[in-house]
Amino acid sequence: MDPTRTLVIEPTRGWRAIDLREVWAYRDLLRVFAWRDVKVRYRQTVLGAVWVMGQPLVSMIIFSLLFTRVAKLRAETGVPYPLFVLSGVLIWNFVAGAIQRSGNSLLGAAHLISKVYFPRLVVPLSNVATDLVDFAIAALLLLPMMLYYGIAPSASMLLAPLLVALAGIFALGAGLWIAALNVEYRDVRVVLPWVLQIAMYATPVVYPLSALPERYRWIAVVNPMTGIVEGLRAALFGGVMPAEALLWSLVASVLLLVSGAYYFRRMERLFADVL
Amino acid sequence: MTAPGKSSVQIENLAKRYRLGAVRTDYTTLRDRIAGMFRRRQATPESREIWALRDITFDIGQGEALGLIGHNGAGKSTLLKILSRITEPTEGRAVLHGRVASLLEVGTGFHPELTGRENIFLNGAILGMTRDEIRRNFDAIVAFAEIERFLDTPVKRYSSGMYVRLAFAVAAHLTPEILLIDEVLAVGDVEFQRRCLGRMREVASSGRTVVFVSHNLDSIERLCSRAVLLSRGSVERIGPSSEVIAHYLSRRGKGAVVDLTAVDRIGEGRARITGFEVLDVTADEPLDALELRQPFRVRIHYEVHDPIPGASFGFGFLTAMGDRIFLTETFETGKTFDLEPGPGRIDCIIRTPNVLPGTYRFELWISDIPGVRATDHLQAVGEIEVTVGMGTDGNSVATLTSGVRGIIHVDADWSPLYSGAR
Repeated sequence: MDPTRTLVIEPTRGWRAIDLREVWAYRDLLRVFAWRDVKVRYRQTVLGAVWVMGQPLVSMIIFSLLFTRVAKLRAETGVPYPLFVLSGVLIWNFVAGAIQRSGNSLLGAAHLISKVYFPRLVVPLSNVATDLVDFAIAALLLLPMMLYYGIAPSASMLLAPLLVALAGIFALGAGLWIAALNVEYRDVRVVLPWVLQIAMYATPVVYPLSALPERYRWIAVVNPMTGIVEGLRAALFGGVMPAEALLWSLVASVLLLVSGAYYFRRMERLFADVL
Repeated sequence: MTAPGKSSVQIENLAKRYRLGAVRTDYTTLRDRIAGMFRRRQATPESREIWALRDITFDIGQGEALGLIGHNGAGKSTLLKILSRITEPTEGRAVLHGRVASLLEVGTGFHPELTGRENIFLNGAILGMTRDEIRRNFDAIVAFAEIERFLDTPVKRYSSGMYVRLAFAVAAHLTPEILLIDEVLAVGDVEFQRRCLGRMREVASSGRTVVFVSHNLDSIERLCSRAVLLSRGSVERIGPSSEVIAHYLSRRGKGAVVDLTAVDRIGEGRARITGFEVLDVTADEPLDALELRQPFRVRIHYEVHDPIPGASFGFGFLTAMGDRIFLTETFETGKTFDLEPGPGRIDCIIRTPNVLPGTYRFELWISDIPGVRATDHLQAVGEIEVTVGMGTDGNSVATLTSGVRGIIHVDADWSPLYSGAR
């Protein structure tokens, strides 16, 4: 940082862009926050990693039993159903968890926000980063499963990290909106888990798109998560990339992130006064 | 550019307004907002506005140590928060030349589950140090805090003394051009305070600018060449610290009857509390600050509208956050009163208020059914400051500040039963 820099403190009004250079200057803090959360999460519970993997594993088993045995659903998934549902649950958990955690992150950091200055964006950002670590650990579950079902490594798998990154952008965009709304409206926190729960069923996480009746198809089409989930499956297990849906996911995620960043910035100056 | 002799902080017409309603009571929900769209807009009561700061203008020279004093609520902390960019001003501007670091609390962001070593990196990053800076200063920080042996112990197992030493050690190794400090020396033992003060003097004499808020007038006088006295959000006096402190002390004791017109009340109001004073015990002198353990008198003025047989008066002593520390009520001491319409007043003397220095508030009530129902209840009024006092007990009193010490002071007698290892 420049020691001779001059800082002008004035009331701000209206919309301003996030100062990305400042966020970059605070990258050490971002790293430390994410590292702290990961460390605390895995230190407090001996079974930290098991805990992170257990939830998707149990979801996979339950949905597999439910859909293939009980409901006798002949899903045209193209891949074995357990793989299908595991991949869906993993990426969905990442996105939903990241939205929820980054959305509530400012309340959790209220103490810091009222005592010290740093770009507030660092808080939700570090939460998404922490969830990414969880996702990476939980995703290890896919290895034995894919081995068991004989999925051969393919070049398209290299696209998977890009799709996860896209999911991260989407989650951060939504998280920024929620975080800023949360400061103004305290019931957002109550409604959010509910909305996410419904959203999961409006996304092809546990069932394929083809299982959706024609007249409800539009929900999946406008839902940016559809492209991400389906795209990840295509990348991992082979199949046709849903190019159109992916393009929409990309556009929607970027729009969400940019608008979220502006809204967050606009509300930012109120955080310390309201929290 | 910050040439020597030039100012390092310029504050021009700075003002900060808080909307009381918007902050606490009217905290909106999305549900209300949505419901509101379908309802005709009804006149909502004007949310009350408070100017925490108004028309603050002064310069701080480069390398100067400036003290900021005043009662709680005078705006010291708000000013510091604006200068450290935690909150935005409503009007005016401040120009700061150089890197700014603020220390509004020791150990901000310390995580109990993490070790001392980990917390040094965490706290350092929060205070704006880069990883390299922390690495470079790591050994010095550990040495200053004297925690070598406990470096890899989670800080939740630290004694409060160790915790504070570590926290201050990190902060003491910040190297900004401008350092903003709020009341952090009020912790730790006397010896450690002395070292902190020494460290801060070093910082100031090395050409850095220090802005220092404290209730400890003594340390302000020792550390700062100049001081600013804030009063109700404005600069009341600025000048050499000894002069400003003398003025502040002479002015103390000129408290006023608390204005109760705009206070929220509960109760049907068969009698109303109309005024409230904190007075000296012997003379009828109003006080707005108490020295540690100084006895005081609470005087409640009231107006009775309906006759109330067997009424009881009471008041509670609250922390600044509104938590009740104690209460006292006439009917508990067997005294109730048959009130007839008209004005009246009642006194209560508190002989040994064993509360540590800090800011406190009052709640007041008149009960028509004692112990069950209040006919007039004022939940948080007035503000009284308990100060360290200017040295009746010397050093031992100077360390009795709230925060890590808790809220109350008790007289304790310790006596050794064993000594040495057994």
